[in-house]
This record gives sequence, structure tokens and C-alpha cells, in this order.
Amino acid sequence: MAYIEFQNVVKRFGDNTVLDHISASINKGELVTLLGPSGCGKSTLLRCLAGLEQVTEGKIFLDGREITNAPASQRCIGMVFQQYSLFPNMSVEQNIAFGLKMQKKSKDEIAKLVKNAMELVELDGKEKEYPGSLSGGQQQRVALARAIVTQPKVLLLDEPLSAIDAKLRKSLQGRIREIHKELGLTTIFVTHDQDEAMVMSDVIQLFYAGHIEQSGTPVSIYTAPATNFAASFIGSYNQVDSEAFQRMTGMETMPDSTVVIRPETITISRDLPAADDCLTLRGRVIDSLPRGNVLRYSVQVEDTVFRVDALFRSFHIFENGEEIYLSIPRHDCLSLSNERGA
Amino acid sequence: MRMKQLSKIKRFTGYLAILPFLVIVVFYELLPLIRLAIGSLTGKQSHAFGLENFIKIAVTPLYQQSILNSIRISFLSALAGIVIAFLAAHCCGEASSRGKRVFTMILNMTSNFSGVPLAFAFMVLIGNTGILTSLGQRYAIPFLADFNLYSGNGLMITYIYFQIPLATLLLLPSFAGIRPEWREAAEILQARPLDYWARVAIPNLLPGILGTLSVLFANALAAYATAYALVMNNYALLALQITSKFKGDVQIDSATGGALAMVLILLMVFATMTNNYFTKRNLKGRELI
Amino acid sequence: MNKKANIFPRVFLVLVGIYLLLPFGMTLIYSLFVEWTDVLPHGFTLRNYADLFSDAEFWACIGRTLVLCAVSVMLTIFILLLAMYVVIIVDRRLAKFMQLVCMIPYALQGVILSIGIISIYSGTGTILSNRMLMLFGAYTILVLPYIYQGIRNSINAIDVNTLLQAAEMLGCGKFRAYVQVVIPNIFSGILISALLAESIVFGDFVLANNIAGNNYQNIQVFLNRRMFRSSGLASAIVVIIFAVVFIITGLVLKLQGKEREEK
Repeated sequence: MAYIEFQNVVKRFGDNTVLDHISASINKGELVTLLGPSGCGKSTLLRCLAGLEQVTEGKIFLDGREITNAPASQRCIGMVFQQYSLFPNMSVEQNIAFGLKMQKKSKDEIAKLVKNAMELVELDGKEKEYPGSLSGGQQQRVALARAIVTQPKVLLLDEPLSAIDAKLRKSLQGRIREIHKELGLTTIFVTHDQDEAMVMSDVIQLFYAGHIEQSGTPVSIYTAPATNFAASFIGSYNQVDSEAFQRMTGMETMPDSTVVIRPETITISRDLPAADDCLTLRGRVIDSLPRGNVLRYSVQVEDTVFRVDALFRSFHIFENGEEIYLSIPRHDCLSLSNERGA
Repeated sequence: MRMKQLSKIKRFTGYLAILPFLVIVVFYELLPLIRLAIGSLTGKQSHAFGLENFIKIAVTPLYQQSILNSIRISFLSALAGIVIAFLAAHCCGEASSRGKRVFTMILNMTSNFSGVPLAFAFMVLIGNTGILTSLGQRYAIPFLADFNLYSGNGLMITYIYFQIPLATLLLLPSFAGIRPEWREAAEILQARPLDYWARVAIPNLLPGILGTLSVLFANALAAYATAYALVMNNYALLALQITSKFKGDVQIDSATGGALAMVLILLMVFATMTNNYFTKRNLKGRELI
Repeated sequence: MNKKANIFPRVFLVLVGIYLLLPFGMTLIYSLFVEWTDVLPHGFTLRNYADLFSDAEFWACIGRTLVLCAVSVMLTIFILLLAMYVVIIVDRRLAKFMQLVCMIPYALQGVILSIGIISIYSGTGTILSNRMLMLFGAYTILVLPYIYQGIRNSINAIDVNTLLQAAEMLGCGKFRAYVQVVIPNIFSGILISALLAESIVFGDFVLANNIAGNNYQNIQVFLNRRMFRSSGLASAIVVIIFAVVFIITGLVLKLQGKEREEK
């Protein structure tokens, strides 16, 4: 059995089924992200694992023990909430020490552990401050310290960075990953931000409408989405109806499916490219948007608009209205059946 | 140069707008207070300036009793009100949104029910020929049958009644400020319910509780209508004693009356400042004026 | 966490609710029956209300009370709006002074106010010893904190600085900007606190009794006088008073709800 295991977990709120027979396993020491749009059930699964919600059906196991009906205080987990979880009437020190006090540890031991935790989250010097005088990022670091100082078996983070501004988010993502590596702590991270998931995770569990659409490493999900939803959620895949694609390129496709292509795999050129193992399309540039180190073209080919990403290098930048050629490697055209997903 | 003079004149005329306000406030708020203060420091017969009146109050049993009764009834009714309000506000936080709305509506309605109408309603209930009193006499329930509404106990019961809605309404925001995340975080950190209440919930509620307590105390101390309607001048209460010195068949005694009034003012100011101290912590600092 | 259907909170709230509604409820029933000496009352009748509505004195008292409400509250609103012009636009430093002066009546309540005014003005032989003048002056001060708080909250809720600057850029003079831009935007807040003040004046006994006594009885003084003579009539008066306050409170809640919606 894996370190954490969900067996056929179902959660209903009244008539609403939020978790629909979820089965998943998480190995010890992994950093797993539950990724998905709002309302897909990812936070609910996390809260069921934490013991803050009771599952309607199914079982949950942690470290070989069934914890399905165990109260939250006995599950040996640490949790960081989205915001507002620090106790305002206690200082940073007292907040972090709270769990240790509940474990009835000695004063000296508490002082030592709190000091270590504060160094780990880089908050030295702020022991006596109160949450009200801390920034959002600092508050979350205190929340993180408070959660890990009790040496839990697993660390849960419920969209901890959603309320933090973008620039700070990046450094906190890095900090969480470093702490995870240093402590070897099994970590489950919930987010709706796919960039965040890609950066942080060992494994991504992609959620949609109460079930797990796909699970795998960030690269595997990114390069090989299994369903239309996965393709629409991860990256910026071009999604073309298979019949239209067959018409345009002549390539044989499965009926009733969608062809998905990543923008960065398409080459754009003024002259007809060499044949190779590529499909060639003729189109017209209708827009271009700079995005970081890439220029994203919108290219009209018959009824379809393709997104094409070209690195900013010293070459020709195409104007709106220019007639150009698109070159797509055959192996980068993935076919996804339409029977499930968005 | 002209521009500066013009704008100065403009500013001056601007200030004129506050004149009506100042007139009313000086005549009907400030001067009366000053007159009371002066009266309190002017001896009744001797017209000498000093603390003669205050000493007189301190040694006269009637006035001692009035002050003590007022403080006792105000404090105890405030305490009782807060205890019930605490439980009610807590239950309100746990209730459904519809239940919360209905209960808050009842609180708003009954918080306006005070003074003479309230005194009468209690007479109807447990006065000498009240409904519950008659029932008690019929079915031999001594507690109801013998209850004297027109006494200190009667006042206490009535005061507690009007403290409850006010206290609950004042406590609701404090309870609303208790984040559900705190309880969840505490639970995960292995706190028992008692730990959560003692270390997290109560400390965060305490400013609201103490502030409300002082408001309730002041509210009862200054209550006049209910007390007058029930006991008139037959019970020694500070507010009633003060009024009797200024209104009635006898000549106005602004010396004793003034001194008694200053005692009441002191107590009220103390209560108000306590409330301000505890509610200042909740300010969000977004205020312009 | 096990979310069992916890009935204790609901039960407790229902009990408290019943307790709070009991006095008025009993009075209401009492007013509709001839006598109530047993468990249940006897003899449904509307006689109490008929007697009350045919009593000219009752209508006179209601009328006087309404006059007191209307005049004092409007007067307070008028002088406060003028004063707030000076605070907001001419000199912000006055804000602290305003706050102190306007919150004193709240701390001291009606008792001190009534005897304070009596002690300084009665028997002076000037126009200031006129009871009506004393009464209106007293009521104006009585409702001062509530109107002030209402205006202040409304001002803090709108971005008054930006509004004034925009008006100034469009060529509007300062006072005109205040009247035509600021006041309309705080109007609903003023209305709500005005209604609150009305219910306070309506429910006041101490100022009316101490300053005006039996010469200008408001409805509360009227009730107090009838209370020991005819309890049936008195219960009807209580119901009427409560109905009026109930309507006012209902209006306030409705307006507050509307204001919150518009935000």
C-alpha cells in the first residue's frame, strides 16, 4: 500500500456530488499537486484527508493505518490554509509553538523547535510580532512554520499562495519546494494555477468535475494530455476538430476526436519549408502578442485560428496580413477522443 | 496680495456655517454641564466654593444607598445580560442564515422596547394583579405569587430584560469576526475544544465582551423611565434621586442635585472611556474624519 | 468534523426569542380581552382600542410627540450638515472637536441632559426659560450623537476627497460642491439615522417628563399617567407605541438593505 491511499472516495453535499469515486495513491516523500479549476473538488479531497470533512463513501489510509473516521486532531498532519488561519491574539512565536504546546512538549524543546522552524522559513527576528503587523507573505510563512514544527506525517497546503501577489508568489513557491526537499516531508499542494503546479510538483493529479482526469509528472501531462480537458487546461494547446484537420492537412485522423498541438512545436516561415516529416499549412497572420521571450502569432488557416509561439531571435517578425507557411511535425499532432472531458 | 486676503475672507465665511451648531451645543449641552458642575461645588446654604456637597452625599444614608443600589443593579444586570448574550451570539453564529435573520430581527424589535411601555408590560405579567402572579396565586407557586415587581428585585428583572437584546446586538460582530479557519487550524494542531476556547476564541472575544459590559453598565445606570414607572421615588436609585432635586414641589436644590449628578457623570464617563478603550482596537484605520 | 444536526443552538435561540417576545405578546393579548385572571383570558373585545381612539387627549399627545420628533430631528440634521461642511471642507482639524462634543450626550443620556437644562434655565424669566424652547433644545442635543454618527459613517464610506476634487475641476465652488455633490451621496445614510433618531425621540420619557411635565405631554408621559388608572387602555397604548416603533425599525432595515444592495 502506498503511503497515502484514497480508495473510492465519494463526497456528497446534499444532491451535489463533489468527489466521484476518487482512487489515488501518494508515495512517501513526494510533492503532489492537486490541480484543477474552481469547484472541481480538489480542496474537498484535501479537507477529507485532513479530517475537516467526512467522506460519504470510501476509505482513506495514511502510513498503513485507516484514518477515514479519525478526528482531525489525531491524524498527525500539518495544514496551511489560504489565509486568516493565524491566531491574532498570539505572537508569531506563540502561534508556531501552539501545536507543540498541545503535544505537551517541554519549554526548552519548544523554544528550540520554534527557532529551527523560523530559520527554515526565513523569519528570524520576527518572534514577538503579531499577525496584524505582518504582510500576507510573512503570515503564510508563519503558517508554514506552525504546520511543520509538529513534525507531521504529511503537509497539506490549500491554495496557500492564491492571496499573495505575483512576485512574492514565485519566491514562496521556491521556499516551499526547498523545505519539502530538506525535510523529506510528504506534501500535498492544492492550486488552480497550472504554472504553479508545473514548477512545484513531482506528480500532478489533474481534477475535473469531481474526478481525476489524469495523473503524472508535470512534463508527461504537459506533453501528453490524455483528454480534451487536460489539453485545454495545461499549456495553450491548439484544439482542432479532427475532420477539419484532415481536410487541411490530408493526415488520417480518428473520427469524432480532436487534434491537439502545442504552439511551440509549430514553425512559421515565409518560404515553403522542406518536406521532412512535417505537415505544411498555408495561412495568414492576423495578430501577434509578445509574451515574455516568445512572440505568439495568431494565424488564420481556412476556418481555424492557430496559436504559434516563436522565440524572439534575430529573424523576421511577421506583420499582420502576411501570407506564411506553418510546419507541424507529425508526431506533435496528438489525437484525443471526444467522448470525455471538456 | 489681494488673492491672499480674498481667500482669508473666504475661509472666514466658511467657518460661519458652524455657528448654528455651536450656539445649540453651547446653550443646551455645555452651559448646562458647567452649571451642574458649579452647582455641585457651591454649598447649599453657605454658598461657599468647596466639596461640601460631596461630603454631604458621602455621609447621608439615603444618597449612599442610592449610589450603591444603582451600581449594584447596573453591574449585575449587565453581567446577566452579557452571559445570556454570549450564549445567544454564539448560537446565532452556528445557526442557519434564515434563523440568524429572524433572531436578529427579534433582537432589533425588542431592543426598542424599554422605558414606560416595558414597565407596564412587566406589570401586566408579574405586577400585583399580573397574569403570572394570578396564576401563581391560583396554583400555589410562591415564587410567582409573592414576587414584588415594585422593588429592587423587580427592577433587576426588568433591567436584565432590556439588557439582553442590546448586549447580543453588540456582541454579534465580535463573534462574526471569529474565523472558522482558527478552529480548523487549532483542531489540526491537536487542540481539544476547551483549548481552542480558552486560548483562541475567548482572547479574541474579550475586547468585545468588556466593551459591551461597560455599555450595558452605563445603559442601566442612566435608565430613568423604567425605574420611575415602576417605583417612582419609593426606591433609592441615583437617577431618580437626582431628578427629584430638580423637579417636584420643593425648590430646586442644585447643590445636592448637582453633586449627585457629578457622581453619575463620573460613573458614566468611566464606563464610556472603558468602552472606547476596548473598541479602539477594532478600528481599521480607514477613517477620514 | 462531524457535522451532526446540532439542535442545541436552535433550541436556545428559540427559547430566548420567546422570552424576549413574551412581555409584548402578553400585553397585546391583554389589550384584546376583558379580563385575564386564569390561565386563559376571557372576553375578546376591541373596546380598549375604541376607547383610546376616541380619546381626544390621546390624539393630542400623539400629535405633540410627532411634532417633537419632526422638528428636533430636522433641526439637528440642518445644523449638523452645516457644521460638517466646516469640518470636511474648511478645517479637518475640527473633526476631533466635533467627535467629542457630539458623543458627550451619548455618554450622559437623558437624565443628566434634562436636569442640566432645568438647572440653568428654569426660573430665569427670560425667553430661555420657555419650556418648549428648553424641550426642543434638549431633544436636538439628545439625537445629536446618532445623526452625527450616521453622517460620519456615510462620509467615511464614500470617497469624499475625490468627489470634491472632481467637482472643483469642473468649476464648482466649495459650498456648492458640498450641497450638490456630497449631501446627495450621503442622503440614504442621513435618512437611516434620522429614522433612528425619530424612534429615540418617540420613546423618550425623561426629557418630556422633567422639562415639560404635564404641560406638554408626549405619548410616553400620557401612558405613564394612564397606566395605574386603566390597564386595559394602557395596554392598547403600549401596542400602538410598539407598532409605530416597529414600522420605523422596519423602514430602517429595509433602507439599510437597499443601501447595501446598491454598493
